[in-house]
Amino acid sequence: AAMQRFLGPLLCLWALRLPAGTGAAARGLDVASYRERVRAMFYHAYEHYLESAFPYDELRPLTCDGQDTWGSFSLTLIDALDTLLILGNVSEFQRVVNVLQEGVDFDIDVNASVFETNIRVVGGLLSAHLLSRKAGVEVEAGWPCSGPLLRMAEEAARKLLPAFQTPTGMPYGTVNLLHGVNPGETPVTCTAGIGTFIVEFATLSHLTGDPVFEDVARKALKALWKNRSDIGLVGNHIDVITAKWVAQDAGIGAGVDSYFEYLVKGAILLQDKELMSMFLEYNKAIKNYTKFDDWYLWVQMYKGTVSMPVFQSLEAYWPGLQSLIGDVDNAMRTFLNYYTVWKQFGGLPEFYNIPQGYTVDKREGYPLRPELIESAMYLYRATRDPTLLELGRDAVESIEKISKVDCGFATIKDLRDHRLDNRMESFFLAETVKYLYLLFDPDNFIHNDGSDFDVVVTPYGECVLNAGGYIFNTEAHPIDPAALHCCRKRREEQWEVEDLMREFYSRKKTKKFTLKRPPDHGQEEDAKDPKDASSEKAGERRNSKKSSHSLLSCPSQSFNSKLAVLGQVFLDNT
Amino acid sequence: SCSRAKDVTMPAKLPVNFFSTRSPVIDLFRGQLDYADQLRQDSEIVLYFFYAPWCGQSIAAREEIERVARRLSDQVLFVAVNCWWNQGKCRKQKHFFYFPVIHLYHRSFGPIEYKGPMSAVYIEKFVRRVMTPLLYISSRSKLLDFLSNYEPGVVGFFEFNASPQPPGYLTFFTSALHSLKKDYLGTIRFGVVTDKRVAEEISLVHSGSVYLHRHANTSLIYPKDVMNFTAENIYKWALENREMLIRWLRPHGGKSLLLNNELKKGPALLIFIPYNPLAEIHPLLDEITKVALEYHKCNKSQAAEADLQHLGDSDSPAFDSSVTDAHLKFSETFPIAKYPCCNTVVLPQWHSISRTHNVCELCVNQTLGVKPNKVHVPHCNFLDIEAALDSFYLQEHTFFQVISNTIECSNFLSFYSPFSYYTACCRTVNRHFLSFISSEKTIFQTPKVAFSSHGKKDNTQFSIPHIEDRNCFIPDLNISSTNITGLSCRTNKTLNLYLLDSNLFWIYAERLGASRSTHLKEFAAIVDLKEEVHYVLDQNQSLVGPALENFIKNFSVLYSPLKRHLVDDPSVHFHEEHVVTEVTTNTFHKTVFLSAKNVLLLYYAQWCGFCASLNHIFIQLARLLPPDSFTVARIDVTRNDLPWEFMTDRLPTILLFPHQRKEQSVKFPEDFSVNLPNLLKFILHHSSSSSSEPCTKECLHKESVLQQGHISHLEREIQKLRSEISALHQAHDQLEAQLFEARREEQRLQQQKHTLEKQHKTLQIHSEQLQATYDQKNQELLEMAEKLQELADASENLLKENALLRILVASRGGKLQSKDEIKEPLQSEQTLSEDNDISLSTATAASEEKRIDNIDAIETEHSTGNRTE
Repeated sequence: AAMQRFLGPLLCLWALRLPAGTGAAARGLDVASYRERVRAMFYHAYEHYLESAFPYDELRPLTCDGQDTWGSFSLTLIDALDTLLILGNVSEFQRVVNVLQEGVDFDIDVNASVFETNIRVVGGLLSAHLLSRKAGVEVEAGWPCSGPLLRMAEEAARKLLPAFQTPTGMPYGTVNLLHGVNPGETPVTCTAGIGTFIVEFATLSHLTGDPVFEDVARKALKALWKNRSDIGLVGNHIDVITAKWVAQDAGIGAGVDSYFEYLVKGAILLQDKELMSMFLEYNKAIKNYTKFDDWYLWVQMYKGTVSMPVFQSLEAYWPGLQSLIGDVDNAMRTFLNYYTVWKQFGGLPEFYNIPQGYTVDKREGYPLRPELIESAMYLYRATRDPTLLELGRDAVESIEKISKVDCGFATIKDLRDHRLDNRMESFFLAETVKYLYLLFDPDNFIHNDGSDFDVVVTPYGECVLNAGGYIFNTEAHPIDPAALHCCRKRREEQWEVEDLMREFYSRKKTKKFTLKRPPDHGQEEDAKDPKDASSEKAGERRNSKKSSHSLLSCPSQSFNSKLAVLGQVFLDNT
Repeated sequence: SCSRAKDVTMPAKLPVNFFSTRSPVIDLFRGQLDYADQLRQDSEIVLYFFYAPWCGQSIAAREEIERVARRLSDQVLFVAVNCWWNQGKCRKQKHFFYFPVIHLYHRSFGPIEYKGPMSAVYIEKFVRRVMTPLLYISSRSKLLDFLSNYEPGVVGFFEFNASPQPPGYLTFFTSALHSLKKDYLGTIRFGVVTDKRVAEEISLVHSGSVYLHRHANTSLIYPKDVMNFTAENIYKWALENREMLIRWLRPHGGKSLLLNNELKKGPALLIFIPYNPLAEIHPLLDEITKVALEYHKCNKSQAAEADLQHLGDSDSPAFDSSVTDAHLKFSETFPIAKYPCCNTVVLPQWHSISRTHNVCELCVNQTLGVKPNKVHVPHCNFLDIEAALDSFYLQEHTFFQVISNTIECSNFLSFYSPFSYYTACCRTVNRHFLSFISSEKTIFQTPKVAFSSHGKKDNTQFSIPHIEDRNCFIPDLNISSTNITGLSCRTNKTLNLYLLDSNLFWIYAERLGASRSTHLKEFAAIVDLKEEVHYVLDQNQSLVGPALENFIKNFSVLYSPLKRHLVDDPSVHFHEEHVVTEVTTNTFHKTVFLSAKNVLLLYYAQWCGFCASLNHIFIQLARLLPPDSFTVARIDVTRNDLPWEFMTDRLPTILLFPHQRKEQSVKFPEDFSVNLPNLLKFILHHSSSSSSEPCTKECLHKESVLQQGHISHLEREIQKLRSEISALHQAHDQLEAQLFEARREEQRLQQQKHTLEKQHKTLQIHSEQLQATYDQKNQELLEMAEKLQELADASENLLKENALLRILVASRGGKLQSKDEIKEPLQSEQTLSEDNDISLSTATAASEEKRIDNIDAIETEHSTGNRTE
């Protein structure tokens, strides 16, 4: 039976549910109380933003006012929107949707970062659009393939398209929302600023039907792939006109991070083997050249020599990403390394010198970044290890004790003495709080494993939505992979499925037909269904690549993973 | 005003009390380390709790420390120091990588860092150990208690006679403290004996001698002659020579290879029991200890047997001074049997023994001069076994008794090495095998029963009295069921025994399949990391000695009756209404094999991104396929173990179990993208049932059922289409509304255009009028100009006239000059003063302007006002 649920008051009740985690109880960690503390954190920051900073982009917690940082979009509000729903606050979600529709204008003479606008604004609006039905917003008949928030996201994304008009297809870092790329704009862009579009842009293309977004994103990804070094690494910054690497440090952190993240997430979201094979190649090189003792260092991209033995706060997303592709053992080992840094300072410094065991000059700050907590959330899904809840506990205690001020939560300027800075980045509400809450709320709808789903009737047919498997963009905005399927793919498949179903019921009559099928599945497919271009392609790919297993799969966990909890790690048997 | 706010920063908040003021813990929240040091003078035992106020672990430990402090506050000083605040002395002097750090001082000895579990009972136990690192053993029974413990014990004998402190006592005491510093679990216990008669029980005669008790191997006496008698040496010696029959595993929570290292040594028996370190008695633990001792007793008991005989022969009393001397002499190369290695040998048919027995377990018992601290190797070196076999075949006469259904053991000397002997236990494995297992008593007989004289011979070469013979006299340890005695050396599947406190580490038990519902947190499992299997002691049995013994025996026998335990996810409940059936270990067989449907099974894991993004496809598929002939199911293989043959190494994996040939499952080809059409084709291809059968009545019936299914499918499709139509209608209405809106907008715009046009027209008229007025004005201006011209002309005429008049006046003037000479100077003075007035006033105005400019740009209005004034 279909579970067509209309969520409204239901969501609020979820918060009252008792925790399912049994491991935590053994160590006496009260998950429910921490969840409520995270909720209180969110509202303390959110309400002060509305009161003192809106409609500016960000709250300045020490002076209790607001400022525009990445444009002038009321950024914190857009970013925090889906967190509201995850916390179960449907009414505020609905109110904010209306406020944004009326208040936000992208026809402004502002120089905006292409990367930040995409992940925060486009990503935020897309996820809000896809979640709006769950949040009880009255959606139009064409939803999820149309809607006001989707149109806003599309409008914002179109403002970014001029940046992609370069000889290489790699985008400029900055664009003027009104006039396009400024004359004299620097052509140097960081790697992540080039390779962090596929999740949002492919979603846009799939929902709206306009392929331009996905095309530019793919072109940029391919340009980076083409320009990797002989040993398979990419640097930090590249000239988008000449394709020359300007900064040649290779690592997994700042400047590169979300490029790797989006290769994996794009592969999962789009079931795309090509993206995955790119990532796996990079992964090999990263393991070979940058990995030491479960740390990842920075190396010269051509020679592979270590250039900086530091751990960056931004690198802490890596274990989470590894868990998504099934490398849970390695993920946990690296995570435990990173956790020791947190224990030393009560936060992760931007740079941490591994051999010296201390912060790096001028990089001692902690702007309440989410990455380590994000990894903890993913790993907790995989292992249910209470150690991960302990990181959550430590994060709540630290952030409350150190950075809470009367007007919100302030960036920690220096982890050595816990001096505070007058800033609260929008990712604090979009990511840090969201991941913390999800860590302490194992029954949240975001963790849906497919046992619940919604059936939505659109003018284009019936869609199964909200069946779990949400892909978080790099700003923690969840995208429902089923929605991508709903708007275009489904229509392509519809008639073929219809034919097959007919055959299904009549197969006794047309026995000859079924029996005649050649034993090999691939051949049969090509022979029988020449019009099906996609399956033909699949057949080709299969022939060209004789890999032992599908790229789009995870290894199952080893026997010793049963005991790999509470800090215990196992060495490979090989 | 905005720019300044950017640089606003705020120093960290000032530290406040971490412990409440009523707490027995002294809270130096400003990090006054110097004061903390001063406080140390006041108390014999001090516990320092170095914390950081933001640290979650410190906060969690705070309560535990307070609880300990409340119980021990009269004997121990508890001092908490904020070691984070950067103005504090502590932060400046100490550099901690984690918090909290707990340091203990026993007078000036310290710091002893506590690294155990952050739980009040464990901390208290440790503090108590620091308070009394040496246990005073006053009587014989206390000594037996002390020695019978499973954890190694070190006993020192010191006679307190004339002098207040016998020599060496302080060193021994410090050594006990030292061991706590190094070994925070406190596994080695230190005791002191002052009574000479008690000391004799363990053959200590000289005050100042130190004894390390061992159960399975010979006990040792500290070799004073070889090693200096220092605190550190004593501890090191005890640590290196201690015997760990059964070990506590206490992972500290940080990254560690503890389990990896222990479990890779070989199969391990993990026993989970709730443990209170403060409790006086541990009956369950005692029982487990007994089992462990029995299990490890082999070598020692052989040796013991021999020793006893030897002692009987020579008729010499057991304990005299020569004993200790002997120990000291051989302290470096004392003959201690290395853990033996065993292999199972299946005898070839031609062999003479095979008439009575066909399987032998052959163990190599080397008694070479091995250093006691060598780690044992569980597997035999190939050459050893070869040699053993050779020797064994030559000794076959030992097995000529024809008794079936029993096991016979024999020891025989190696033909290659005089220091090795072998033990062979042979039996018949045949159709009676099962009955073997059920009747335990017949299977294993202790080796000592069947010892041949060869073993004895071997031992006589090293006829040294072994002190731990005494073991046998300890009543507690007397053997009740002897059948696992020495099993550890008779099997090639030797187990290492471990204890875990289920109050702290129950999660591991749960991972291994312990029931979550039990109140009694007792659990035992054998984990074999290499074979990737584990076995679980039936949880319905209570964890007692015999149950454990059986468990161990069942594991050790050649054809073990133990079944690999499959962990099942208990949180999954069968939901009839779920579209995709959730399968678990327990329901796997029923759902997949017993059902009369085609079953499509998806192997997945929740954490695997590639699986989760397929959810919607499987839901769609399940909704499409006729439910009466198809089951779409899935199994989370992270939480559900399956028999080997159904395991898969990649996720997602899709298997189809066709209705009539379930055993011939087919796998969805991995290189195809998983989508609805592909899945349907896959199912269609493989689920087609035998089709060549002639169409009987049954077939017709089937046909009609199928058609019924088709009809209902079509009905569902129609339903779907209907809803689609209604959605389309809705969209249409929406569009209509939008169109209407647009038309209205258009109309409104049209109207606006009209009005604008009208306005435009009026404006045009207006502008025409203006043009006209302009022209008119222009005309008037021209006229004016003309008039002015006229006036100018007139004035010119007047000027001319004027000039003429001046000339006239001048000519007249000359004439009058002489007459007016007096009046002239007066007139010129008047004109001069008038000029001065004017220039003064302009100057003041200018200066005023400047001043106003200076004040502010905002006040320009005013200043212009002034200026105009």
